[in-house]
Amino acid sequence: MKGRLACAVLMAPFFLLLVTVFLVPTGTAIWLSFFAADQPGLGFGPENTVFVGLRSYGAVLSDPTFLGSLLTVVLYCLLYIPLMVAGALTLALLLDSGVAKLRGWMQMGLYLPHAVPGVIAALIWLYLYTPGLSPIIDLFAEADVQISFLGINTVLPSIVNIALWSNLGYNMVIFYAALQAVPREVLEASVVDGAGPVKQALRIKAPLVRGAIVTVGIFTLIWALQLFTEPVLLSQSTPMISARFSPSMYIFDAAFTRNNYGLAAAASVILLAFTVALSYGVTRWTNRKAA
Amino acid sequence: MEITFWSALRGSQQVVDAFNSSQNRIRVVFQQIPSGGQGGYAKLSNAARAGNAPDVATIEYPQVPGFAIDGVARDITDLVTDRVKQKLLPQALKLTTFDNRVFSVPLDVEPMVLHYRADLFQANGFEVPTTWDEFAGLARTVRSRFPDKRLTLFPTDGGTQFACHAWQAGARWFDTSGGKWRVSLADEPTRKVAAYWQGLIDEDLVFRNAGDSKQHDAQIGQDRVITRLSGAWDAGAQMRARPAQKGKWRIAPVPVWDEQVVGTHGGSTFAVTKDCREPEAAMEFIEWQCTHPDALTARLKSGTSSQYPVAPGLVEAGAKAFPGEYYGGQDVYRLFQQEADKIRDGWVWGPRMTATLKVMQDGFAKAGAGAGTLIDAVREAQSGTMPDLKALGLSTEEGAR
Repeated sequence: MKGRLACAVLMAPFFLLLVTVFLVPTGTAIWLSFFAADQPGLGFGPENTVFVGLRSYGAVLSDPTFLGSLLTVVLYCLLYIPLMVAGALTLALLLDSGVAKLRGWMQMGLYLPHAVPGVIAALIWLYLYTPGLSPIIDLFAEADVQISFLGINTVLPSIVNIALWSNLGYNMVIFYAALQAVPREVLEASVVDGAGPVKQALRIKAPLVRGAIVTVGIFTLIWALQLFTEPVLLSQSTPMISARFSPSMYIFDAAFTRNNYGLAAAASVILLAFTVALSYGVTRWTNRKAA
Repeated sequence: MEITFWSALRGSQQVVDAFNSSQNRIRVVFQQIPSGGQGGYAKLSNAARAGNAPDVATIEYPQVPGFAIDGVARDITDLVTDRVKQKLLPQALKLTTFDNRVFSVPLDVEPMVLHYRADLFQANGFEVPTTWDEFAGLARTVRSRFPDKRLTLFPTDGGTQFACHAWQAGARWFDTSGGKWRVSLADEPTRKVAAYWQGLIDEDLVFRNAGDSKQHDAQIGQDRVITRLSGAWDAGAQMRARPAQKGKWRIAPVPVWDEQVVGTHGGSTFAVTKDCREPEAAMEFIEWQCTHPDALTARLKSGTSSQYPVAPGLVEAGAKAFPGEYYGGQDVYRLFQQEADKIRDGWVWGPRMTATLKVMQDGFAKAGAGAGTLIDAVREAQSGTMPDLKALGLSTEEGAR
């Protein structure tokens, strides 16, 4: 009995937060997506809140600008996630291999960008990307190379670059910690069997930190699907980022520019479902491979 | 009695001060807010949602139907008396009337005009173009004689400017006559206008970048752009932005296709909001702002405005109050008056104009960079607008009548 009470007290904050910052907003979004303040005909009459069923969902899914934003974020994931996982893992393996000198300094240097808030990071890169401000562009210009970071084809890689800069160090630390847990005797056995450092890293260490790779992959995926801060800030310097560039920006635009809360709510629920389905799919797929 | 008033219009404080000292029953408390696109409209929507919108708010023409549908702008049909109506240009009031109900009172109506560098025209023997064919011909001449100059800019952020060109050519993007929102952004006149500007872009005869940008400021400041296509209001904006070019600019009628008609570009209206507790007092203030000579004089004396009043009776006062030296003493108000009479009838703005124009501009920016065309951008704007209107529960139809 006492144990249960202690359990309830200790768990209460978690459930309180779960309800107030997750379940209630999600429930509100779902509710909003099924109702609308309607006026018949031209819309100038008095409003009535009515149940509209799946109408808002139909509208979102028939909106080419929403489907375009989904495509953008999928492209972004395809570009970003492999680079992130491969990059972070490579760095972690290098640190773990003992090749790297000054390991502590390296770790801190790589981790530090993660401590910079996303908005600040985007502002720093905005400065480096904007023609006329950027010393990098000036440098290239002196070598007679015209370079545009915010052009129609370069803007997505430029966003990927910001995300990599921010998160590479963080994921590297996760991989490095997982690598520390690899039993030393296994590594010694592999050396006895004649594995060089590269082979050891790729054939022994990497498969043993599979769990960490899957976790990082899924977290990165979920984070990436919510792409918002970086493109919003960069959009101030380039017209190549539209107000509906990513699904999250579409939702923001629907709610606060178009004052269409039903549409915004439906788009949010669709993004949530898309994220859940994709993470579930990835989990299933990696589990099957493991089995 | 106290009335709260929000506006992004320059010179509003002077107008409010003049109103407050003209009588002692109504005291207007004015708050300068950012312009619509800079957050002013979001501020108004949010305030209305929270139930504390100001009594009187400034809304530009394209956004009137949206705020009316959202219930922010109150139906003021009964407050707009015949006495007020008689003082206003009917074609302007029509733009704020939907479903036979008036939702806001127009302050100014802004026929598009051609601002041109008279000094450069004279030095090079250029004729002021009166038709769009002549305009394109002159664009070629300018480009070939001065490779670093262009006749004008196609503003990639200029959805309202493009709308004005389409309006002039006879487009009807939105039509409410059948009790439904009929949407046909890519109608035949619009296709003609899009093809015309696409041609100028493809031949590299115009600059194509954002109009509201440092780049464009530099283009004008360094004499690299020698005409501007914009509403009458822009005469004042130009004076404020570039005092050094005083005396160099003149204003001419906008080129035409075949009919002597024009569209409008810009212009503002005043709405009484749903949260207003003293609608009669609010209306009295609005009427004074829109029709009293002292209001216009106060605004123009601030030296930053050249609005063309919607009340024809004020033109005289406007012509007198407008400091004309910048335009070499040209009687610009007479020109505006002549152009305002040519405003083409039948244009209707849509229910989500900010968003529609934004999608169009996203496409313009791509077309300016060589990906896609202007008419693609117009079609994207339509396909990106329809879901929005459907989700609002409006009756809609697509395609030209």
